Amino acid sequence: MRSKSKTMLFRSLALHSVLVPLALLWLLPLWMMFVFATMSDNAIFSPDIHLIPSTQFGENFAKLQGDIDFVRTLIVSVVVAVIYTFFSVALTSMAGWALARYKFLGRGLVVAIILGTMTLPYFVVVIPQFIMVARDFGLSNTWFALIVPPLFNSLGVLFMRQAFSLMPVDLFDAARVEGVSEWKIFIHIALPLSRPMLAALSIILFLHSWNNYLWPLLISNDRSMMTAPVALGSLFGLIDVSWGGVMVGAVLLTVPMLVVFVFLQRFFMAGITAGAVK
Amino acid sequence: MRRRNLTAYGFLSPYLLIFAAFWLWPIIYSFYLSFLSTRRAPWTFNPSMTWLRITQDTAFYNALWNTLKILAIQVPAMVFLATVLAVLLNSQLLRARGLIRFAFFAPVVIGEAAYAAVFRLMFNTDFGIVNKTLQAIGLSKVDWFANPSAAMSLIIMAVTWRWVGYNAIIILSGLQSIQTDVYEAATLERVSPRQQFFHITLPLLRPVLVFCFVLSVIGSMQLFAEPYLITNMGGPGGATETLGLFLYRQGFLNLNFGYASAIAYTIAALAVAISALNMWIGRDRT
Amino acid sequence: MKSVIGCALATLIFASGAAQAQSEITVWSWGSAAPGLEATIPGFNAEHPDITVKVEKLGYSDVKSRVLAACAAGGVGLPDVFQFQNIEMELITAQFPECAADLVPLGFDAGAQSAFPEFKLFALRDEDRMLGMPWDSGPVVMFYRRDFYDKAGVDADSLTTWDDFMTAGAAIQAANPGVTMINDNLNGGTENFRMIAEEQNCGYFTNDGQAISVAEPGCVAALETVKTMVDDKLVAAADFNQKITNVTANAVATLMNGAWMEGVIRNGAPADQSGKWGVAIMPSITADGAHASNFGGSLLAIANNSDKKAAAYTFLSYALGTKAGQITMLKDQGLVPSLTSALEDPYVDEPSAFWGGQKIWKLILGRLPLISPINGSEFFSDADQVMLSVQTAYLNGQYTSAQEAMDDAAKQIGFATGLPIAQ
Repeated sequence: MRSKSKTMLFRSLALHSVLVPLALLWLLPLWMMFVFATMSDNAIFSPDIHLIPSTQFGENFAKLQGDIDFVRTLIVSVVVAVIYTFFSVALTSMAGWALARYKFLGRGLVVAIILGTMTLPYFVVVIPQFIMVARDFGLSNTWFALIVPPLFNSLGVLFMRQAFSLMPVDLFDAARVEGVSEWKIFIHIALPLSRPMLAALSIILFLHSWNNYLWPLLISNDRSMMTAPVALGSLFGLIDVSWGGVMVGAVLLTVPMLVVFVFLQRFFMAGITAGAVK
Repeated sequence: MRRRNLTAYGFLSPYLLIFAAFWLWPIIYSFYLSFLSTRRAPWTFNPSMTWLRITQDTAFYNALWNTLKILAIQVPAMVFLATVLAVLLNSQLLRARGLIRFAFFAPVVIGEAAYAAVFRLMFNTDFGIVNKTLQAIGLSKVDWFANPSAAMSLIIMAVTWRWVGYNAIIILSGLQSIQTDVYEAATLERVSPRQQFFHITLPLLRPVLVFCFVLSVIGSMQLFAEPYLITNMGGPGGATETLGLFLYRQGFLNLNFGYASAIAYTIAALAVAISALNMWIGRDRT
Repeated sequence: MKSVIGCALATLIFASGAAQAQSEITVWSWGSAAPGLEATIPGFNAEHPDITVKVEKLGYSDVKSRVLAACAAGGVGLPDVFQFQNIEMELITAQFPECAADLVPLGFDAGAQSAFPEFKLFALRDEDRMLGMPWDSGPVVMFYRRDFYDKAGVDADSLTTWDDFMTAGAAIQAANPGVTMINDNLNGGTENFRMIAEEQNCGYFTNDGQAISVAEPGCVAALETVKTMVDDKLVAAADFNQKITNVTANAVATLMNGAWMEGVIRNGAPADQSGKWGVAIMPSITADGAHASNFGGSLLAIANNSDKKAAAYTFLSYALGTKAGQITMLKDQGLVPSLTSALEDPYVDEPSAFWGGQKIWKLILGRLPLISPINGSEFFSDADQVMLSVQTAYLNGQYTSAQEAMDDAAKQIGFATGLPIAQ
């Protein structure tokens, strides 16, 4: 008994001596983001190592706002991500419902398409998407262009199909017997039952939109319609950029997501693992 | 389940509409474009400016080679690390579980622009914390942005930092879905923990690992923001130019849509082929 | 549909005389050109208080990619005015001639054009239309540290050939530990190669833009020169920002650049470097070369979609088309005027304290007539990307000779553009 607990202790020590330093290393970039955001540029580019936050956050924020109206770009990002998430959840849960609950002509084809597009890189469509949305429709710098083209999403459909097909059929059949329409069954019975799944999906889709870089980079040239990540990236090329300011931008981009992550970790994990579960 | 074509398509139609408009049609249009010379208006049929060029373009081969390097080094290393992490994080002995998990999982929420900025400063040649630390322990500093292999390792480190937690989450959920009684039975049969891992855990994890590989392969094939933002558009001298960045350059800086479409199809074909290979290797052989 | 109504509405308002009201125009600009342009605004507003000018500072590649993306989108999202490099402008005149407004009907007629040299107008012309107004040009000179040169006993004015320069470089590096003779982008650009090649009258394309000339002797010799300097360890790789850092850190003895670097160095260097800098004529591969080359130099174009074209043109014709505007930018940021008459301003004869009392503008402007401008053509970016990867490969020893490297570059540019190789 004694030797067993000794082995356990030894194992526990070994485990932590590997994991703790690695965890600290992994935390370092995040920590440095906060530290840099509070340092003047002179301190960032100085020969000393600074690991403790300083006091320049406000000044850096002012410099960031001076280089680019970052608050405005954050607002654009929030609006885009909220609307995107709403529509994407609506589309994918409706489609997932159809695939989980009805037999219909072409069902196999639809499933095959969704699975097929999962292995296709986004690059295969980005050029025609750009030509179509920007040149043919002339819709650069619009909410439509930022929100609608990225709506298609295959993981979400599979996730929702999974969620709906796990629900007991009797539930819906009982409602059908009472003459409730299919649409109402979906809205009033199926959706409320799948709230945790919807939450998980929403978080992942929101994150996806919040961090999306390539498409907004291509489609928004005007500073008033730039999303925050694109605006932040555009500062890298300035010759006299305030890096402390850039770091404040990075913090403002990251902290809301970290908060969501900490408080809604369960949904996060569920959303990320969605694809892995068949 | 009942046969209801109309109802089903009623629910499906918004989704299919978006698919048709922003995926199906672009895929078809892209194929057509890839045969056009888009150098001067009007665009003309001239596949030698696209498909023949791609076979002879050293810049394309450079980008392909760089991408394959990432595929061959970063993807296996990351999935391996993620598996180890998942196993360790799953241990009953782990203290401060929440905090340690946070350390590895938090990068999942960080956007490319934000972490690119941090990595640029941390790896700054003269003033970055990484080189300062290297010098403090008696090593010489590394010119992360001017030395080709150093720049490539910087990209690999950055991507690994960002994505290992993501993969660990997936693998961890795979681990947790394995029934504990399997292990209990094995322990009773005096199967050592190591043997349990190789003979029970790994085989049961196979589909999850294949999934991670496929996701990472597709991710690497379209790596764009990291070399665009961290190493100044694929620098030094194209050493970190990926296929994604090369496509962006041809499509949106040179405005050569035809050639960029040919590149896009090549990337897609490679991604599908490598994913299929992965799935074939990891297929269920029982 | 909304935008059509918007347009119609704007036209209505415009026609009904509301043009007298305050109008704000937005300009996209990069680098030191942006603060230079901002410096002209007070002078402009003294004459035109009704027009507000807002300069949006972006990175160079950001302006370029955003303008091109917007032009590819039919001009949606462009500001009223944007900066573009002369050498890249043909990408717009050839591919998107409708993206930039024709300035001729706005007042930039043949008479107004004749105030600028032909080599600055060439790339802006689309038949009878004029798609921009020339801004600055970039006569190449050597910016050097007098103290570093003196310590090694080197007279900067005596460095006639690149061989002289390299011999001096070894001596200067020996006398000043930690200092590198010259910087070159190397990793992200072909700057020094292009400057040295153009001095030899060689560019990527022939002057009519119809053939590839990169394998001609002048370019081959330029690439060899770049490699010799790198092999002799006289070059530190540095992109634009790193060059400024190296200036601040006293780590570089010479920068070769278009004259617009003057303001960058003067405004960026720490105060204790004042008086320690000098300007010299660039070396040549052969002693009898032109010792003149052009690097950089921009123009301002007005977006065809802008509904404030007249106001925008009023600003352009002040900032770029008057002596007052151009001299302000010369003083503030060292932007060399394209406007010929501005070159006769008394200011160009004044000595500059930062540059050790040297009359730098006399020397720099003296280079202008000797420049043989090269044609960027609409395929400049394609060619430059090929050149960068060939240069990298050549520097790493992947070709047996510079000629072989350039033949390969010519072949690749041929693939990218469909143009023949010049015979």
